Amino acid sequence: MTDKHDVSDMPTTGHVWDDDLADLTNQPPRWWMLGLTASALFCVVYFLYYPSFPISTLGDHFRGLGGWTAIKEMEADKDEVDALRGKFEARLKDMTPAAILADDELSEYVRRSGKVLFGDNCAACHGQNGIGTHDKQGLFAPILNDDDWLFGGRIDDIHTSIVGGRQGMMTAHKEILSAAEIDTLANAIASSQPNSTPLFVEKGCSVCHGEDGKGMHVMGSANLTDKIWRFDGSVKGIADTIRYGVNSGDPQAHVAVMPNFKEAGKLSDAEIKKLAVYVYEFGGGEADAPAEAATMAPAPEAEN
Amino acid sequence: MNAAQATPVKYDMEVVRWFSIAAVIYLVVGTLLGVWIAAELAWPSLNFIPEIAFGRLRPLHTNAVIFAFGGCTLMATGYYMVQRTGATRLWSNGLAWFTFWGWNLVIVLAVITLPLGITQGKEYAELEWPIDILIAIVWLAFGLNHIMTVAIRKTSHIYVSNWFIMSMIVMITYLHVVNSLAIPVSLATSYSIYSGVQDAMVQWWWGHNAVGFYLTAGFLGIMYYFVPKQAGRPIFSYRLSVLHFWALTFGYVWLGSHHLQYTALPDWTGSLGAAVSLAMIIPSWGGAINGMMTLSGAWDRLRTDYILRFLVVALAFYAMSTFEGPVMSLKTVNALSHYTDWTIGHVHSGALGWVAMVAIGALYHMVKKLWNTEMYSDSLVNVHFWLSTIGTVVYIVAMWVSGIMQGLMWRDYDEYGTLTYTFVESVFAMHPYYAMRAIGGLIFHLGTLVMLYNVVMTVRQASAARGAAAVPAQA
Amino acid sequence: MSDHDKIYSTKFQDKIERSTVLMFVLVAIAVAIGGIVEIVPLFYLDRTMTHLSPDVRGKVDSKEISPVVWQRETGQSLDDWKPGDGVRPYKPLELAGREVYIREGCYLCHSQMIRPFRDEKDRYGHYSVSSESMYDHPFQWGSKRTGPDLARVGGKYSDEWHRRHLKYPREVVPESVMPNYFFLDDRKVDVARVKKTMEVMNAMPFYPANYTEADIQSAANAGGKTEMDAVIAYLQSLGNHIKFTEGVNYRD
Ligand code: HEC
Ligand code: HEC
Ligand code: HEC
Ligand code: HEM
Ligand code: HEM
Ligand SMILES: [Ca+2]
Ligand SMILES: [Ca+2]
Ligand SMILES: [Cu+2]
Repeated sequence: MTDKHDVSDMPTTGHVWDDDLADLTNQPPRWWMLGLTASALFCVVYFLYYPSFPISTLGDHFRGLGGWTAIKEMEADKDEVDALRGKFEARLKDMTPAAILADDELSEYVRRSGKVLFGDNCAACHGQNGIGTHDKQGLFAPILNDDDWLFGGRIDDIHTSIVGGRQGMMTAHKEILSAAEIDTLANAIASSQPNSTPLFVEKGCSVCHGEDGKGMHVMGSANLTDKIWRFDGSVKGIADTIRYGVNSGDPQAHVAVMPNFKEAGKLSDAEIKKLAVYVYEFGGGEADAPAEAATMAPAPEAEN
Repeated sequence: MNAAQATPVKYDMEVVRWFSIAAVIYLVVGTLLGVWIAAELAWPSLNFIPEIAFGRLRPLHTNAVIFAFGGCTLMATGYYMVQRTGATRLWSNGLAWFTFWGWNLVIVLAVITLPLGITQGKEYAELEWPIDILIAIVWLAFGLNHIMTVAIRKTSHIYVSNWFIMSMIVMITYLHVVNSLAIPVSLATSYSIYSGVQDAMVQWWWGHNAVGFYLTAGFLGIMYYFVPKQAGRPIFSYRLSVLHFWALTFGYVWLGSHHLQYTALPDWTGSLGAAVSLAMIIPSWGGAINGMMTLSGAWDRLRTDYILRFLVVALAFYAMSTFEGPVMSLKTVNALSHYTDWTIGHVHSGALGWVAMVAIGALYHMVKKLWNTEMYSDSLVNVHFWLSTIGTVVYIVAMWVSGIMQGLMWRDYDEYGTLTYTFVESVFAMHPYYAMRAIGGLIFHLGTLVMLYNVVMTVRQASAARGAAAVPAQA
Repeated sequence: MSDHDKIYSTKFQDKIERSTVLMFVLVAIAVAIGGIVEIVPLFYLDRTMTHLSPDVRGKVDSKEISPVVWQRETGQSLDDWKPGDGVRPYKPLELAGREVYIREGCYLCHSQMIRPFRDEKDRYGHYSVSSESMYDHPFQWGSKRTGPDLARVGGKYSDEWHRRHLKYPREVVPESVMPNYFFLDDRKVDVARVKKTMEVMNAMPFYPANYTEADIQSAANAGGKTEMDAVIAYLQSLGNHIKFTEGVNYRD
């Protein structure tokens, strides 16, 4: 805008307000008038093309000549990514996690797609890359990139953990054991020798943790001999675990619930399989006779 | 300048003085709150007690800048312009004082209730029902006083500023009443009578038009008075005023649904909002060029007139944000921008660049007139000008980058057809821009402190001079 | 300042500019139209609501898809509802949690509206439909996603995770910018207030909750619960009401 538009020579409308306020009688710029008309026309065209008006003889709304709907647009966009992942997903569909793991091309695909699946759904509890999340109350959920597993680190165990969720249960012992007994047990466990005290078998700990105290994957009971602590590993911490249990219903018990991703409809079967492979590949996964795995019939959970 | 006036009119300006000072103070407070919540997003440990946590202070920020600062500016300029352009005193000076105390009571109640979490949970309409009723009463009093003063004007025609103010008064009344309908549970809690989709549409009909009429039509009214006044030039084109006034008045109302693009509303609502939004570029620019072209032949004054600089830069930001907004209304663009910081950047290019700048220009102009003096320091006005401009630019650039980055990260797919980024990666990526925004905001806020100092010194200087000379203030 | 004969617009415009009343009336009409056109039909066009839309209703009636809105049979209590039975009003504790959600301004950082996009489907799940928020007075769709969408967060995490996350978000998610809500653990739910809120929800002119007297009395069970319990109950109730069938168009 320069002074070549010096318009001061135009007359005003003749009205004056507050001493010196007046309007010049310039015409609006031509482009502006054209723009205004074009805008009105644009609206008409847009309204005809898109669903736009809540009136129609059918008690419905005007659907637009272009046939556009938000859902159709989404379907078209989905087709685009489906074209990229389609061939992988088609193969994945009937394979077991173990078979996927054995397939180089598919495991590369899983590494890529697992990142966001894990990051958006699991990392909140298990930490980025499965390193665990530690807050004031300790480790929130098991570390997934070490080789200590509550429920087993074979790929199918991991898969089962995700499909069904997990909720290991250890009863509270505060009513069953005396303070001294709890103390003895806690000290024995803290020194990684749970069965150094006869109490370990007598009081039923071995029922869940095994005679050797190494834990049992079927019930997710912890290995008490490896110095890897799921909860607080101090003598006092261990004593508290014994006293109040885990998921035992006692108000002071540790609460450890892994949601059921399948039942809650949060993840599809394919996504769960991908996650199993992805988690296994963190490095902590336990071997599972790979040759056998590749030829194994699809696991029942993988089919539905 | 007033020498030529045949019969000098005595105006009711004391209430305008009070509103003006209040506006300056609320600008300082509102932007400080903005800086604080910006800092909370960059350094979340600042949320140390519930009363000042982000979720509670954000509504206080928006209410402070929109209702406290914006409202006092609108009422100060509204009462000022309507008297001077009508060559008459206020219809009721007493009612004007009622609006001053009433509005400030609303603000005090907002400051108390919002940090306590007393809110209706609707954006920009958070205040609870008893305060809503008070707002309605005070607003109607302001509206009545304004319109009656227009009615008793001595001039034949209604000045263009008053058209805009009138449309604002009517529209805000509709919006506030309809959007605020709620059933109370107690004095401090109530629930909107609308739910889901219907509530969403009512809310954004309100939300957009709080922007469109309160922050735009009202401030265009301000522009139409203060730009020609400060430039000493007539308005560029009367026909343009007429055309863009009616186009905006009729058109803006349709835009609300651009806030609900692709949501669970039926597709037709979003289309209406998108098309009419795009059609609003030209009417909006009508206002912008009418202001800009008013300066034809007076551009050299920008070198020395710092107040004029505020007004001109405001018009530039107005033109920019009313281009950006329509673009963001288009379905494809909104798909990216919605939910991101891009919206926040757009908000503040309008709010800082346009609303605050034009208000600041008008307030400086009025302070000089109301106290019949020069500014205590013109160079501080210039300092303020640069702080505002730089602060605004830093703010919106940070938000453009972060907003577009956010939008792109959320939707990015790799060559395997799977999502590339987790959500928290996007949160983490925002950190530098949140810090940059906080700094931009701080720069802007420092400018408002300079203004407060300058205005206080100007008023003191004027009062001292008056005391010495014992001349009554001439309005 | 005198009257001027020449008119630079139209006679009618000139007349408007001279008359306060005329200008007021015309402005009042001009600004009313857009809002009426966009808002009023949403209250009566069937297709606005998923469960009233003829296409969806047809499929529900023929049992092709699961119900969109829960049809409570006489004698059933809110606890008889199962996920997938359709949208239902909030249970008392959830309602109390919703009040906290609004009070703390969670909606300023979290949306509850999944748009029909492929990335939002991959990240958050099925797109939201209108009937899902029919009992939300006011709606909580939000306008900014500083944090992730919460429309389908129900069932995604355990209660314990929510408790620890809400108390100190950065302890579980180091990158988070969410405020700490540790104080919610110390505040108790006010049962009388919940009951009152339920009565208010029953009195709503649009989509009243239709709580039974028994429902309202069951609010007593929220006694002794903390606000933390309440928000968690609310969060866990989000998004699992409808059992969506793949491939069905729920948005007309
Ligand atoms: C709400 C928190 C939470 C979320 C979200 C979560 N987990 Fe878990 N997860 C747990 C807890 C707690 C346990 C341990 C359960 C127990 O101790 O009984 C666990 C256990 C596991 C185990 C068994 C570990 C072992 O040592 O045997 C695997 C594998 C696992 N989770 C994978 C995942 C994957 C993959 C995801 C995402 C789809 C996920 N988790 C999401 C909390 C969670
Ligand atoms: C009903 C089965 C059951 C019984 C009985 C039981 N435990 Fe456990 N225990 C578990 C399970 C399951 C876990 C792992 C919980 C989890 O992480 O989800 C566990 C965990 C522990 C831990 C925590 C290990 C860590 O890494 O932090 C200790 C210590 C422990 N048990 C000690 C005992 C002792 C001592 C007894 C006997 C007094 C006992 N348990 C009895 C099931 C049992
Ligand atoms: C300042 C912004 C902010 C506020 C206010 C806020 N949040 Fe968040 N929220 C976040 C961010 C960022 C994340 C993502 C990082 C994380 O998980 O903490 C998040 C994550 C969450 C999640 C996990 C979602 C998921 O799917 O992983 C839940 C649940 C949640 N917030 C609930 C709430 C509730 C309830 C409130 C109010 C009491 C609230 N938030 C207030 C920013 C906020
Ligand atoms: C120093 C100057 C300012 C700073 C630092 C600032 C900062 C902020 C921040 C951090 C937010 C929240 C953004 C988010 O949720 O991500 C916000 C919101 C908002 N601010 Fe400001 N602000 C400032 C000045 C203003 C002014 C002067 C106005 C109005 C005239 C304004 C109007 C708004 C509005 C309307 C919102 C809500 C935006 C939305 O909901 O989309 N701000 N501001
Ligand atoms: C023709 C002019 C304008 C149009 C078409 C327009 C359009 C838009 C759009 C599309 C959004 C984003 C909605 C979303 O995705 O959530 C938006 C948000 C916003 N705009 Fe504008 N805009 C215009 C002018 C302005 C001006 C001048 C301001 C001045 C302050 C402004 C203030 C805002 C605010 C405060 C929001 C945030 C609303 C919220 O989400 O809380 N707009 N606008
Ligand atoms: Ca309100
Ligand atoms: Ca917003
Ligand atoms: Cu808008």
